[in-house]
Amino acid sequence: MTALTPLRARWRQANRQGDLPAAALALAPAVLLFAVFNLYPLAYSGFLSLMEWDGFSPQRTYVGLANYRAIYESADFRNALGVTLKYAVGVTALSVAAGLVIAVLLNSDIRGQNIYRLIYFLPVVTSTVAAAVVWRYLMTPGTGYADVFLRNLGLTPPSPAWLRNPAWALRIVILVGIWKRLGFNIVVFLAGLQNIPKDYYEAATVDGAGIWGRFRHITVPLIAPITLLLVIMSVIDAFLIFDVVYVMTDGGPIKTTEVVGLLLYRQAFRYFNLGDASAMGWVIFAIVFTATLVQWKFFGARESGL
Amino acid sequence: MARARVGIINGTGYIGVDLTRILLRHALVDVVCVTGRSAAGSRLADVFPHLAAADMVWMPYLANSGALVPLNSFVEASGTDIADFYPALLAVNTYGDQYYGLPVSTNNLELFINSDLFEAAGLDPAAPPTTWAELQDMAAQCANPEQGIVGIELYTQPGEGLTWQFQVYLWQAGGDFLTEDLTAAAFNSEAGLKALNYWLGLIDSGAYTLSEWGLFGQGQACMVMDGSWMVGIWAETAPFAWTTAPMPYPEDGQPATNMGGEHIFIMAADEAKQQAAWDFINWFTSTEIQLEWDQETGFMPVRDSVATDEAYRAWIDETEPRLLSFVEMQQHAHNRPPVEQYAELSDAFSAAIERALYGQVSPEDALAEAEAAVNGLLE
Repeated sequence: MTALTPLRARWRQANRQGDLPAAALALAPAVLLFAVFNLYPLAYSGFLSLMEWDGFSPQRTYVGLANYRAIYESADFRNALGVTLKYAVGVTALSVAAGLVIAVLLNSDIRGQNIYRLIYFLPVVTSTVAAAVVWRYLMTPGTGYADVFLRNLGLTPPSPAWLRNPAWALRIVILVGIWKRLGFNIVVFLAGLQNIPKDYYEAATVDGAGIWGRFRHITVPLIAPITLLLVIMSVIDAFLIFDVVYVMTDGGPIKTTEVVGLLLYRQAFRYFNLGDASAMGWVIFAIVFTATLVQWKFFGARESGL
Repeated sequence: MARARVGIINGTGYIGVDLTRILLRHALVDVVCVTGRSAAGSRLADVFPHLAAADMVWMPYLANSGALVPLNSFVEASGTDIADFYPALLAVNTYGDQYYGLPVSTNNLELFINSDLFEAAGLDPAAPPTTWAELQDMAAQCANPEQGIVGIELYTQPGEGLTWQFQVYLWQAGGDFLTEDLTAAAFNSEAGLKALNYWLGLIDSGAYTLSEWGLFGQGQACMVMDGSWMVGIWAETAPFAWTTAPMPYPEDGQPATNMGGEHIFIMAADEAKQQAAWDFINWFTSTEIQLEWDQETGFMPVRDSVATDEAYRAWIDETEPRLLSFVEMQQHAHNRPPVEQYAELSDAFSAAIERALYGQVSPEDALAEAEAAVNGLLE
């Protein structure tokens, strides 16, 4: 009789099919990768967020919560949070709304449905950096297609041009965000739409509901769990925006596209303030986590589907 | 004699290739290529080679890390003519009263002119502007907003691109970026205001319209201030005729330009290896090898004796006369302040200047704002 006896008994009970060692072996690579590339950096960045360190020198200085205080007091971080929020709301609202409308249209019996699906899905599988570079070319003053197109219509492009225009830069970045996200939303919505029984629409039609009535009272409520899922995913994704902005505007003009991801990158890899950068990462994590919880609680409560 | 292990920190692309080629011929050197910051956290000398070269912006980090070996005693012992190097290049390596490295290559910024656009506007590319006033007049004459063509392209996006271009105008107007002891901002001055007002004047006169950097290479700018490294690139890629000229400066100002480049230094702890590393540096930075190096790479000379060498001048005339403006102006190149916080204070400076260019704040307020931000970073 040793202290290990109950443990052994539980192991035997769990392993009565004899497949636990095989299962553990099969899971090990994924768990190991997750631990090395997710858990360890997460813990390490938490540790670094309490330090002042340039990534170079041998000694790290413990500074307590000073890095977090600096973020709280930083006007640049507040601005970046506002910009990120605008981006998140813009991309989420428009890409989810447009995604639903287009999915409904594609779900009707139109010709060449698969071609449309393919076209809308292409941006999702396009490399973001490559796409951002091409979008930048499109918006190049003078020679870019956006300018050429407007001039052909007899319109004058804004000055300063597009990405250097404080009023336009964020709109264009949001447009690219929507363009990139739309196809994914459509495909997920389409899957959801196909699960809504046709009888509901037939019954509603018999009762005299028009196209709008059926959309408003059948499609929208029944697709709501999917909508919630897409909104949450989109918000999380939007808060992590970095590559498009880095390539297209680098945060300019006058900080109108300076998102939190860009600030974090600069702190970490341009100024080598690894403590500040880690703290910023945790603040962003906390914000995204809270936003997700709130969405789940307030909007998810009604949706038994999730 | 001890052999030195040599590495190249962040030396990618053609510098890495050419340096490796020259190093391989050296009898006392084993090449061990090292790049990036993968060994972060360990003492540099423990993991890095005995000898290495890095971009000038890394020198303050490296010198402050305590891993570099001061070179003064080696310089004295081998009787190296240190005064032959341009002082601004030595300043990048000088901390306290010790040299921690020597320059191996450099470059600078001068004026590029799109000859096709110049001629189309009735201007003569053989008679380039020499003063700020001429630059503005010619740029305004050459600009064509309808076709999105600017007269003189400025770097007006936030970041070091803006800062290091603006510094040229600041120095030309007689100002400086930081105080001499590098403890505070010095640009909030009459010269700073003059430079900023000049940029605003370029915008007001239509000589420049706020836009994305890169217009000159697309044939959308009559002129641009850009680096000597672009000579080789545009010689191959530009679909238009172009030439170069020294950067114009104000009539009551002085010639000035900005520069980049690489510096070589010793990290070995062992004395015999330090000596071997120094022997290599002394050989590599000598006039004879530098002449060959500059012709192979297209870098600007770091030594006056190279810049004025007759064979070198003849080589330029023969192969690429458009490099001559850069060679002649290298002596007027200033160095960006060698402080660890430079990247961050450059961004803060550019953000404030950008606000002035967009008319969000007056030029006076922008400079004051930038001064407060920079001084805050320097503490």
